[in-house]
Amino acid sequence: MAWWATSYRKATLLLFGLVLLAAGLLTVFDLRLASSQAITLTANQVIEPVPLDDPFAAVWNQASPVEIPLSAQEVTQPMGGGSARAVTARALVDEKRIYFLLEWEDATEDLSLASQEAFRDAAAIEFPSDGGQTLPSFCMGQTNAHVDIWQWKGDWQADIDRGFASVAETYPNAHVDLYPFRDDKTFYPGWAVGNPFSQRERVSPVESLVAGGFGTLTSADVQRVAGVGRWQDGRWRVLFVRELAVGDDDGVRFSLGGSTNVAFAVWDGSRGERDGQKSVSQFTDLRIGREAESGGISTGTWILIIALLSGLLAALVAASGWFILGRGRRSP
Amino acid sequence: MPKVPNWQLGREMDYPYERGKPQRQFAAVFNINRCIGCQTCTMACKSAWTFSEGQEFMWWNNVESKPYGGYPQFWDVKLLALLDEANPDGQVWDTSAKDAQNAPYGRYDGLTIFEAAKKAGARQQALGYLPSDKEWRAPNIYEDTSVSWSQGSSLPEHSTWFFYLQRICNHCSYPACLAACPRKAIYKRAEDGIVLIDQKRCRGYKKCVEQCPYKKPMFRSATRVSEKCIACYPRVEGKDALVDNEPMVTRCISACVGKIRLQGWIDDEKSPVYYLVRKEKVALPLYPQFGTEPNVYYIPPRWVPRPYLEQMFGPGVEDAIDRYSNPSEELLGVLQLFGSTQRLIFSYEITDEAAIGFDEKGREIVRVPIEEPVIVRPPQHLNIT
Repeated sequence: MAWWATSYRKATLLLFGLVLLAAGLLTVFDLRLASSQAITLTANQVIEPVPLDDPFAAVWNQASPVEIPLSAQEVTQPMGGGSARAVTARALVDEKRIYFLLEWEDATEDLSLASQEAFRDAAAIEFPSDGGQTLPSFCMGQTNAHVDIWQWKGDWQADIDRGFASVAETYPNAHVDLYPFRDDKTFYPGWAVGNPFSQRERVSPVESLVAGGFGTLTSADVQRVAGVGRWQDGRWRVLFVRELAVGDDDGVRFSLGGSTNVAFAVWDGSRGERDGQKSVSQFTDLRIGREAESGGISTGTWILIIALLSGLLAALVAASGWFILGRGRRSP
Repeated sequence: MPKVPNWQLGREMDYPYERGKPQRQFAAVFNINRCIGCQTCTMACKSAWTFSEGQEFMWWNNVESKPYGGYPQFWDVKLLALLDEANPDGQVWDTSAKDAQNAPYGRYDGLTIFEAAKKAGARQQALGYLPSDKEWRAPNIYEDTSVSWSQGSSLPEHSTWFFYLQRICNHCSYPACLAACPRKAIYKRAEDGIVLIDQKRCRGYKKCVEQCPYKKPMFRSATRVSEKCIACYPRVEGKDALVDNEPMVTRCISACVGKIRLQGWIDDEKSPVYYLVRKEKVALPLYPQFGTEPNVYYIPPRWVPRPYLEQMFGPGVEDAIDRYSNPSEELLGVLQLFGSTQRLIFSYEITDEAAIGFDEKGREIVRVPIEEPVIVRPPQHLNIT
């Protein structure tokens, strides 16, 4: 066989081997290329009004979308989730409010909790609370560094759109003779004690929460986050909105030109995801009030492309070296 | 995971929390032999606690016919299958390792639901499953369905058999619902060991529904949180003026027309329940192998094949039936106290003539003759038409 054919085959094999090795390592350690990069979500400043009821509004073309990788929650019980691989996050800010738009793939629209086996679709955004002594863990924070969480819930959205579903509406063929004391809260303990899940009059599909460690998640005293979620063609788009100016105890503060961290989570109800069983991201940088970047390819994506190209170049150089060496040895 | 003592298993076991012993533990004994399946207990509970919207399917007290019945359907068969799958052929007892106080039935060498979950990778606290709407829907399915048909029966075991199993929340010493709740919304009361769901903290994750092996927490769609049997705690606390604000037994226990139920404290030596369970060992826990240390105890039915009963109540069955069939004078006396008063009996005394129940302060609240006097009706009062 000609010398060049052998060397060429060696080089091809080496390149193939390198690619295989890299793919193998990524698979074994469940590493995703995107998660090793530094992602920054920028809330671009806009002048036009951002509609509070339409997550598909054209103004969102002015945002810089960032794809945030998600993975199953494997830190504390109950573990699981991971059905959504990524969420696309966008953010805008104006003089008065900050807006976040999450978009992710989900084949089913899960809005009802009426059945014993049913669970809701949901999405959440998490920020380090003001006054923490350190950057909190993205897993629900810790005692000296709390987190603020905004969770949008599919069933709360349905409550707003269609009203709180009664059992008669859910099970039209069921028969009940009589409910004594039908409207007396005493016989609906969750409702009577003010559990936010049991309330029949909803103002927002988004619940504002605080947490300082696992099992401490608590609904905030002041609920100031509005929002809307719409499912279309196998994708959710959920909008979260809050005033920039809030009171001392009304949740995390945002300032134009400032920055903080943000993490995301998504639940797929049809897969039984709830609580810790979710697709979750780590903390990402959030910048508030910069101008839109040109192009539409984020810094993170550029870094990824450059890293991949460098890797490929290095592999090619190595392969060429092998090729040249092999040729040299065979020279008369 | 901490190790906690479980006297029903005769050994320590894994549980997510350290043992938090209440001042005293709610407990009850149900005598299966006496139940006629009238469901008066079921309706007493229903009319007290679960008559509102979203509770239509809820039966905090239910009576199911074994072996085929179950609410939710096949709940116990499913749990046993899951455990067997987790530990094939390993769910066994060593009955030679008996100890009157710490291992009255011997030592359980199999896996509890907590240990099985740990073995499977500890992704949740306890082995379990979420019953479907269909499984909740028919609480009385297979009512009175016996295993086969044959002519004639004689003790000790019938070849054609069924029995009623009366079920409420077991207010377990190691509740799986409490372990499962990621919110810590379920708690065990220090004063009486009653297990409750905090209706304000619950976020409706249904983890308790999934991991309680007895399937007694239930999700209520009208409030979107879970609810469960509360052991009629306002009655146990003595909040009812009807009985001078003295502790009363639960609705299901006081309503029982067959007088098969007796409420007391499992850890108070003066309580008749303590006597029946710990001293006489005539009443046994339901599926002790689940590992939650349940606190409702059953006098097993005499006519049912022993292997079935041993699977359900552990290896103490033969001795329990033997003692029940040949009762001591004290046992005979205590059996008279069942269903004799709606006040809670804290202590008792058995004399030659009567069984006497006392309240917490030692005051007599009930006196029942050991043997009813025989009264022959005079001819003018005979009910002959």
